[in-house]
Amino acid sequence: MSQAAKTAARQVKPILSLNKEEARKRVLNLYKAWHRQLPYIVKQYDIPKNIPQCREKLREEFTKYNNIQDVRVVDMLIIKGQMELKEVVEVWKQKGHIMTYFKESQEPKPKDFISKFLAGVN
Amino acid sequence: MLRFTVSKVLNGAKNGPKTLTVLTRWQSDQAKKPEKIEVFIDDKSVMVEPGTTVLQAAALVGVEIPRFCYHERLAVAGNCRMCLVEVEKSPKPVAACAMPVMKGWRVKTDSEMTRKAREGVMEFLLVNHPLDCPICDQGGECDLQDQSMAFGSDRSRFVDNDFSGKRAVEDKDIGPLIKTTMTRCIHCTRCIRFASEVAGVDDLGTTGRGSDMQVGTYIEKLFLSELSGNIIDLCPVGALTSKPYSFTARPWEIRKVDSIDVLDAVGSNIVVSTRTGEVLRIMPRINEEINEEWLSDKSRFAYDGLKRQRLVTPMLRDSSGELKPVDWEAALLTVGKQIKNAGDKIGAVAGGFADAELLISVKDLLNRLGSENLCTEHVFPMDGSGTDLRSSYLLNNKIAGAEEADLVLLVGTNPRLEAPLLNSRLRKAYIHKELEVAMIGPEVDLRYEYEHLGADPNVLKNIASGSHAFAKKLKSAKRPLIIVGSDTLERPDGAAILASVQALASSASPQEKSWKVLNVLHKVASQVAALDIGYTPGVEKIRNGNLKVVFLLGADEGAITKEDLPKDCFVIYQGHHGDRGALLADAVLPGAAYTEKQATYVNTEGRAQQTLVAVTPPGRAREDWKIVRALSEVVGEKLPYDNLDEIRDRLEQVAPHLTRYGRAENANYFKQAAALAKSANLDSTPLDVKIKELKDFYMTDSISRASPTMAKCVQAALKQKEAKC
Repeated sequence: MSQAAKTAARQVKPILSLNKEEARKRVLNLYKAWHRQLPYIVKQYDIPKNIPQCREKLREEFTKYNNIQDVRVVDMLIIKGQMELKEVVEVWKQKGHIMTYFKESQEPKPKDFISKFLAGVN
Repeated sequence: MLRFTVSKVLNGAKNGPKTLTVLTRWQSDQAKKPEKIEVFIDDKSVMVEPGTTVLQAAALVGVEIPRFCYHERLAVAGNCRMCLVEVEKSPKPVAACAMPVMKGWRVKTDSEMTRKAREGVMEFLLVNHPLDCPICDQGGECDLQDQSMAFGSDRSRFVDNDFSGKRAVEDKDIGPLIKTTMTRCIHCTRCIRFASEVAGVDDLGTTGRGSDMQVGTYIEKLFLSELSGNIIDLCPVGALTSKPYSFTARPWEIRKVDSIDVLDAVGSNIVVSTRTGEVLRIMPRINEEINEEWLSDKSRFAYDGLKRQRLVTPMLRDSSGELKPVDWEAALLTVGKQIKNAGDKIGAVAGGFADAELLISVKDLLNRLGSENLCTEHVFPMDGSGTDLRSSYLLNNKIAGAEEADLVLLVGTNPRLEAPLLNSRLRKAYIHKELEVAMIGPEVDLRYEYEHLGADPNVLKNIASGSHAFAKKLKSAKRPLIIVGSDTLERPDGAAILASVQALASSASPQEKSWKVLNVLHKVASQVAALDIGYTPGVEKIRNGNLKVVFLLGADEGAITKEDLPKDCFVIYQGHHGDRGALLADAVLPGAAYTEKQATYVNTEGRAQQTLVAVTPPGRAREDWKIVRALSEVVGEKLPYDNLDEIRDRLEQVAPHLTRYGRAENANYFKQAAALAKSANLDSTPLDVKIKELKDFYMTDSISRASPTMAKCVQAALKQKEAKC
């Protein structure tokens, strides 16, 4: 085998999943777990959002990473997602932490020339 | 003082008496090229021209010999003895800077004897040098400091501290720019040589001998020259330091940004030193084609004007007639509304600091609105071919080319104060190459002798017709130059003067085909770029256009006044200083100064160069072309460029040379320009220049007018003048 092909087929240590199919299952499991938790989040944290809004946000948070192909990266994100979920379930987070998912206080960065000019950024 | 090397004495016999008294290293070029000789520097063989010094030969193989007094642009003095090196079979070490190499010499630059000699010299220098490095402004960039670390002894034998102390010398007051601490002086005489050879102001010299020797002006006097700041760079120790920069920063704390100077049309290359968002000093950067390694005092010291009188926020004139600060949105909307209402009744006047990006964006905007009223503040004759042929408004033979000339005719210009670095080239040629200079115009002090042909412009006609004695000289000159000042061309009969100068230039017969006789010397940095882009010189169009909106792009020289404009005309001023232009304005848009933007400037020889961002614009000021771009969107005529690359592409479309940085594109069609020129009658009013004396030199534009240092210089120049009377 040539040197280039060798590096391409290099065996790496898996984090959780051995193939894409397995990773997909884990993602769906995590998604479902969050989905089931949503009504309790709305209730426990007393946030000014209803369940459909939270579902939309949940979907957005997951689809943000829909271009990721590397199984190990997917695994890593699953682990992080589980940790987040645990923090939510155990109420280690507070209302503000939940609300940061909605980024209501963040101003969008100026994109076109004139708004960049008025904001004084290059 | 007689300073020349053996070979120069030998060659000197062939030259006239003038060159014999002043020494030159250029003379070796003039002599026939003799065979090269072989010498060995640290056993490395190198072939050199006879007459090359040991130090130059060593530089050829990359060996740098330490030196204090030697400077490649000044005459050889050979008095610091730091460059002593061993030559095989010579009983004593020789001074490398002054000793020409002989065939087969083996020079040892790192032998025991050499090192011992250097250590000894360092010890002698330090015996009489104060150990005040911690409070010395040169600390960190001091040749003495560096070389004592590299070549000095590691211990001192100086034990006399408590008895008689070190040598102490009284400080001199030589002006508002240069701070002297003469105790630190090591008598390298670089400043003296610079003053007498380059600046042409023979004010500095030495008095006393041995340990009583002092450098100074013999009588109490200010060292006033337009190039005086350069002796700060030349001084290898902290004896001469910059007064405005004193005690402000150490070299390792500052950030250095390469840039271009815009205070005259020469376009000197500079290094801007900044710290904490402030310009701390400006120093020259070597560019052999433009400023060598010198810089004029205005360019070097006017930077403190960048912090005063700045426009930091957009302003609108309210109903009570006062300019009130507003935010950008309000300013752009108000200005945009006025422009929309004006339709094609809009005009723009470009001042001296407008960069090419700004010029092109304003031209694009106004053209889209259907207006062609784009003018520059400074007048240039438009008769005949006008500005269509580039050769009629450039310094065609280039700045470095002035050195090669053998005859120069100055027409209504004072190069010493309008372009000090061009004048230093002329002076160099006058001293080292027997250049002859003649002048039509006021009798000004150029620091070299010239033949004054009177101030009457009709002398030009007489020379052209051959009835003047100078005509013969011009005909026979091998490399003649005619330099016309922009002041002269601003006269009502400017076109006639340009026409007769063009005729005169085409009647000269230079030896080489590529030699360009006709040269125009501009005074402001923006002019050439504006003419290249297609601005109309002069503000006639603005005066006669019955305009509703006038856009002033840093136009501060008062070419346009309130009286010239209709009563309801809305004046927009865009620029960086609250000067004359901003006073007229109904709306003020704060722009960036040349240290605060990446912008293109074209110097008087047609060389495009760019400044780089050293500090950010203050307050709410913005880069100039961006203001116009934003305005265009508000007006509804969006310009098709959003970033610097895109606007530079646009510049390239209009004139490709504008983005070829560092290169000077040649201009041609002299014959055609001369043929198109209509010969009109010349006025008999004598030719005049605006900047006659040193006191007029320092404050000429909005930056230097805002500079306290420049104000002090004017005071000093006036005081000096009074003292002389």
